[in-house]
Order: sequence, then structure tokens, then C-alpha cells
Amino acid sequence: MPIGGFVVNAQPEFVNEVAGELSDIDDVEVYGFDEKGNIVAVIDSESSTIMEAQVKKIEGLDSVLTVGVAYLHAEDEVEKIENGELVIDNPFQNRKKH
Amino acid sequence: MSVTRRDFIKRSAALTAASYVGMNLPIGQHNVAQAVDADKWVRGTCRLCGAGCRLEMGVKNGRPVALRGVPKARTNYGYLCMKGMLFYKIMQHPDRLVKPLYREKKNQPFREVSWDQALDIAAKGFADSVKKFGSDSTAYYGSGQCQTEETYIFQKVMRGGLQTNNVEGNPRLCMASAVGGYLTSFGADEPIGGYDNIERSYCIFIIGSNMAEAHPVIFRRVMRRKLDNPDKVKIINADPRISPTSRIADMHMQFRPGTDLALMNAMAYVILEEKLYNQKFLDDYCVFRVGKDKKQVNMAAFKESLEKYTPEKAARTCGGNITAEDIRTAARWFAKSQGTLSMWCMGINQRKQGVWANNLIHNLHILTGQLCKPGADSLSMTGQPNACGGVREGGGLCHILPGHRLVKKEKLRNQVEDAWGIPRGRIPPKPGYHTMAMFQAVNEKKIRAIWINCTSPAQSLPNVTPYRKGLQSDDVFVVCTDIFPTKTTECANLILPTAFHFEKTGVYGCTERRSQITPKAVDAPGEAMPEVWIVREWALKLAKELNDPVIAKCVEPFLGKEPDCELPEAVWDEYTQKVTKGRDNDLRGATYEVLKSMDDGVQWPAPTKEFALTGGTVMKFVRGSDPMAETLAKDDKPYQFYGPAHADKKLWVWLRPYVGADEEPDAEYPLYLSTGRIIDHWHTTSMTGRVPELLRANPYSYVEINPKDAARMGVKPNDMVEIESRRGRVEMPAKVVEGPIEGMVFAYWHDMHEDRMINKVCKDAYDPGSKEPEFKICACRVRRISGPRALKPYITTLNG
Ligand code: SF4
Repeated sequence: MPIGGFVVNAQPEFVNEVAGELSDIDDVEVYGFDEKGNIVAVIDSESSTIMEAQVKKIEGLDSVLTVGVAYLHAEDEVEKIENGELVIDNPFQNRKKH
Repeated sequence: MSVTRRDFIKRSAALTAASYVGMNLPIGQHNVAQAVDADKWVRGTCRLCGAGCRLEMGVKNGRPVALRGVPKARTNYGYLCMKGMLFYKIMQHPDRLVKPLYREKKNQPFREVSWDQALDIAAKGFADSVKKFGSDSTAYYGSGQCQTEETYIFQKVMRGGLQTNNVEGNPRLCMASAVGGYLTSFGADEPIGGYDNIERSYCIFIIGSNMAEAHPVIFRRVMRRKLDNPDKVKIINADPRISPTSRIADMHMQFRPGTDLALMNAMAYVILEEKLYNQKFLDDYCVFRVGKDKKQVNMAAFKESLEKYTPEKAARTCGGNITAEDIRTAARWFAKSQGTLSMWCMGINQRKQGVWANNLIHNLHILTGQLCKPGADSLSMTGQPNACGGVREGGGLCHILPGHRLVKKEKLRNQVEDAWGIPRGRIPPKPGYHTMAMFQAVNEKKIRAIWINCTSPAQSLPNVTPYRKGLQSDDVFVVCTDIFPTKTTECANLILPTAFHFEKTGVYGCTERRSQITPKAVDAPGEAMPEVWIVREWALKLAKELNDPVIAKCVEPFLGKEPDCELPEAVWDEYTQKVTKGRDNDLRGATYEVLKSMDDGVQWPAPTKEFALTGGTVMKFVRGSDPMAETLAKDDKPYQFYGPAHADKKLWVWLRPYVGADEEPDAEYPLYLSTGRIIDHWHTTSMTGRVPELLRANPYSYVEINPKDAARMGVKPNDMVEIESRRGRVEMPAKVVEGPIEGMVFAYWHDMHEDRMINKVCKDAYDPGSKEPEFKICACRVRRISGPRALKPYITTLNG
């Protein structure tokens, strides 16, 4: 269950709308924004797969210019991988172990 | 995790992000560093592009648990992109190579061997080749992703030990034209300034680079500069393709592929016609030159050479949306701004006229004096994290020795031989094979033993199919050092598993002459080992096989050092203290101790520790910024262009005519094909393809087609199309988009699947000076073959 801290950059004139659109995306919480187009958001998702999908959604918004990551906490996910509770998702079949 | 702790981490994540943009959040200022109870935070550099972003890895119980940017780092000021953030997943991947693997014949399965056996096999393979076919039958092919210590020690053993200059690396495929451009225009490789100019520039000229995807964190700085100064700062984006980078541009100049030489000559024409040049700068620091013999000419001759590039004529040559008035406006913005910064990447370098295209960018800067002052620079962006530091500076190409020394100069060879304590004459005077010639020599069985380190030429070479033949042959002994199976390990006899980034210690040098250390933070899996250890042990065995004590002498200073920290430090010390001493990339001040103490790193030249601790040289050649501009000064002028390649210590403005691509479209192959990188993937996807999040975002390559071309060809979005050239064909889905200029298609090159590997279609013509191939332009035809098809992503396994 990773948590990421992001600075999303929107075209300044649309920062209000973009902040609203971000809040509508699952797992995304907007903490603040400013007139320069900076939006501080946190994504708290079930897995990093979901987090990446949410980031893609944000990048795809019309007035978003870049998405920067400042912080990623992934301890729970790493722990689960180590305990065997979570297998790193592997889309390739018949992998030969060696 | 309890709700409270989770909330606490979320707040800390928000506060960290907010601190980057100076935003006060109404949630109280916690000490964000305490958010994760990591045992330690280890500061290093991102592995996944040439931007050189600094990050800290939080380690708990010997494993990575968190990542954060380093806010004080002068490369990224704390920001990272998702690709950089997810690389910890590569470290833990079940596909990691963890044991040495061997097979005698390439159709056999691999079997596990011990390290001792593996190193014996590697030594015997190379020694047999030397005994039967001579030293030049062996070769090393490395990477801009190896650490500097690795490139340095490999080339030392190859040149000083095995006595061959067959030392190459994949930067030949991406940076060689930039090297050629800097050497011929400025007399010295690598940029004069760096990223520091972004925040001080008033005109940014981005050409041949989709930096929003290829260098997203640097793009963020450019974007910020523009958004914070919307009226004062002009951004010009010149590219045959409209890309996410164009979104911040005041002007997008979309030209027919390859015609940028005409475009830049036309800008120079306007600069002369409207007297926008800086006469004093020209008088003080510049000469005009032409031709192979570098004949000096006067400004009138230069002006005459530009007569065929009036903006009107050039606009017709360039096609696309470019008007004569656009060219005039761009030239005025460029010349008149308080500081103009050019930034480019593979669109300029991966060209048959790559060096000339670089020269023409530099010409604009020299003519207008847009150099050496705040905000002004001619900055080639690097693709790989250590193409500059390791390969360009550390002697990783066939014609250069470490410390920017040319192989062919005896005095410079002798300096290196003396520093190594080996007999003079040991390094052969003849440069080795450049990359394309090297794999041709493998095909022709002139090379019988090749060591390929941390790269995959069996996928990344242009027109790749014929170049695989030699690698696949049982007559050529192939050793691969890597962390994952690749298309190239499919051709190997021996695969040696290596430690990954943060599993070993070493230095990377990014785009802006900045060397930054990444110390070991966690253990490598299984039996994977650092390359520096592998080379040392191999060299000792080689010395015995060939009964040649000089080979052992090459690694003697490194004996007895433990491999994770002491050994790379000893290699770095030898390189910096003995070999860079007095050279333009003098790194003597940048010891491990200094580098570890820095948030970011050190920009060379940095001859002393005291100076290195300030961060080094921000602007080369400028007195007061660059200590060598004082020590090598030839007069009292403020700029001293002391570069080793120009005896006259001047900047050279070149007369370079517009010459098109090697292969232009014709009736049979009517479209231009260009290729490039997508934001989520790195090179051949051997790493990023194994991070499911990144793979899922872009599971396979696709081709972008202009809507007008698509309508003509009857191609609808997501239809499967065939792209065919004189060399090969692939099939991939089509994206119909206002991206590429009409008459051009653009394919992403990361896909490992044989049916979609676009490098089979690309042309292997190369620049006669830099020997860098023209990946960016060839002729092709495109045909719809079916409607949308469900495709499976593909990553190679050990046995292909
Ligand atoms: S921009 Fe490049 S160096 Fe920076 S985080 Fe992204 S991949 Fe890493």
C-alpha cells in the first residue's frame, strides 16, 4: 500500500479546475494549490500498479503539464513481497527460474 | 500499518511535496524525515536517464522501503519522475540473474558454474583468441549506464593489458555527434554551462528533443521558467513532431526531417542580415572555418555561404508550418534575449549530419555571443546516466583514452602508460573499431571474443538483423555482464550476474559535467557481483593464461580491496588523481569523501578539494568561475577557451551546407520514419519492461501517424500496420495523432518483440565524423494489415 507525495503542474489559469478533477480520482487527495499552477497531492493506493494508473490519469488531463514525484513510501509493499503475500506481478508466462 | 501512522506518512508526503514549491499547508510542520522509520537514508543518483536526479533510498532491515528526492540537489531540486521512483522494483525482480551461467555452444541450454570456473572460462576464451588471432581479435562493448570506475578499469585492461583499442560503448549510438560538435566548435568536449542557466535564460531553443518525456524533471525546470515569466521568456520548439514538449512553446517550428540544417543556416542568415551578431565577441574569441582542412576564412565568406539560405528559401526547404517570418522572429528572439539557452538531444545527434547539426547550433551561439554569460549556453542533453562521466571522460570509446586524450597522440598515450606504471608503447597507436565497424568485424570473424557489458546491441543497433549474425555464431566467444536476460544474452556463451545500482558503489557523470556518487545501500541478490571485482579477477587469470605480467600490473593497485566500497574507491582515486590531473576534466578535488558529503556532486574542472566542495565549475572557460581559465590563461580577457582540440584557443564558426538524410523518401518508400523513447521506458525495456506498472502503461511499441496520411492510407486508430523499409519490416498498432509532420511516421523503439522491433527497419548509415548512426531518419512505407488486434507484451527469457 504505497503512499506518494506529488507536485502536479497545471496551466495556471486552469489550476482550480484541475485540482477539482484530481480530487475526483480515486485515492488522490489534494492538499493545496497555488496561482502558479502547483498542486500538492497525495496518492494512497492499494498497490503501486494502481498508483501508476492514477498518475497516468493525471498526466492525461488536458491542462496538466507535468507530474513530479517528491516522495514514495513503499514499505508495506516491500514487506508483502518478502513475506510472499504479494508476488511481483509478472505478465510473462513460462518464466524459467534459475 | 495503523491508521494514525498511515495518516502521518500521508501528511509527510504532502509536506515534502509542498516544501518543493514553497507552499504552506494547514497541517502543521512535522519533521518529514521521521515519517519512515528507516534504518538509514542513502543518497545516490537515479539510474534511468541522463538528467542526473538525486534521490535518497530509505533502507530498513537491509531492503529499500522508501524513496525521496533531494531538495538541495542542483539537478532536480527534489523532483523525480515515476520511472525514477519505481526502479526499486527492478532490484527485487525474480528475473534477476543471480549465478554465472555458461554454455559452450549457443544452441545449448545454460548451466550454472561457479565464479572461479566462470572467470577461468572468460580468461581462456579471450586468451585463446589473442593467441590464435592477435590482440585485435578481442573487444569490449560497454555502456553509458556503467559506472565510471567500471568503464575505466575495463578499458585499462583492454588497452594496457590486452593491447587493443577495441573499446567501445553504446554512447556511440547517442552522444558521439555531440562530442564531435563540441570538439570542432569549442575545442573541448561537453557543455560550457549546465542546468543552472535554465532559471536565468530568456529564450530557450529546444530542437530535436522531446524533453517532456525523455528528461521530464529537466523539462519541469524549463516549464517553471516559462510559467513564472510568461511574457519575458520565449520558448522555441523546433521538431518535425509535435510532442508534449510543444505545449509550453511560444513557437513550434515543424520542419521536414533533416532540413534543420537549412533552418539554422537561415537563422544565421537573419542574424547577419539584421546585424544581430556580437561583433566584440566575434573579434575577441572566434574564427570562421571551412572544409576538411579547417581552412580559415573571413566573415564575408561566411555570409556568402549563407546566401542560399534566405528565410524564404529555407521555409520552402523545411516545409511543414514554417514561414519566413517565423525564421526571422526565432532568430531575433535568439539573438536579442539577455540569455539564450539551446537544448537538444537525439533528434540532432542520431543523424548522418549529426556533427554538422551540432556545429550549426553552436554557430548561432558564437555569432550572437550567447555563451559564458548567465542564461546563455549550448547544452546537449545526455540520454544515459553516465555517457558523459564514464564513456566520454573515462576512455570508453575506441579513439579516446581517459581524460579526453586522443589515442593517436603518442605523448598522450605515454602520459597514460606512465600513470599506469606500464611500459611505454604498450597502448597501441591505432584506434580500435567504432561501434558499427565492431559488430561488422564480429560478423566477419575479425573479432573472436567480445565482452558486452550492461547493454544490448542485439536489439539496439540500427538495421539490427545482419549485425546479430556474428554474435550468434559459435566462432565468436561472447561474454555478457548484466542484471537481466536480454536479446544479447541470447547470443552469449557466458553470462555473469552483476550488482545493480545501490548494490555497489560508483560515480555517474550527468549532462552538465557533474560527477555524483551512489554508494552501496543494499546487498546484491544471489551471487551477483560488482563489475570492478569481475574485471580484476578476470585480469589476474588472463595474465596467467597469456603469461603476461603487464596484464596483472593493470590491476595491481586494486588487489586486496573489498569489492563494494574500497575497490571502486581505489579505481576512482587512480583515475582522478593520476589520469585527470591537468586535463580539462580535472577531478582531483572530487574524492569519494567530497562526493559523499555533497547533496549533488561536483562539476569539473575541480582540481582541489576546497574548490570541489563548492560544487566545482558552473561555467567553463569563464574567469572567476573556472579555475583553469586562470591557470591556462593566455591573455587578460574574461573568457579563456583553453580546450585541447583548438591550438588557436578560439571558438570556430563553421561553414556547413544543408545536406539531407542518407535515405530520403521516394516513390517506393514514400514516408520518413523516425524513432524515439516513450516516458515510461528505458532503452530496450530489459529493466522497465519488468516493472509491471511501467509495462502496463505502454505494453508494446506503436507508431504515430499524421491524420492526413492515415486518411490517405485508410488507417484508423489502433489498426495494425506494417512498416517496411529496404532492410526489414515490423508490425505494430497505429496511433493517429497530430504529432509527426505529414509524410512522416514515428515509432517507439523499446519493444523486445521480434515482430515489433523497429531497429530492424532503421538504417545503419552513420556520420562520417562521429560514426553515430542515423536512427532518426530513413525511408519507409506503411500499409494497413488489419483492424485492432490483441497483442501480448514480450520480454525475453534466458533461452530466448
Ligand atoms: S528524469 Fe531521469 S534521472 Fe530524473 S527521476 Fe526521471 S528517469 Fe530518473
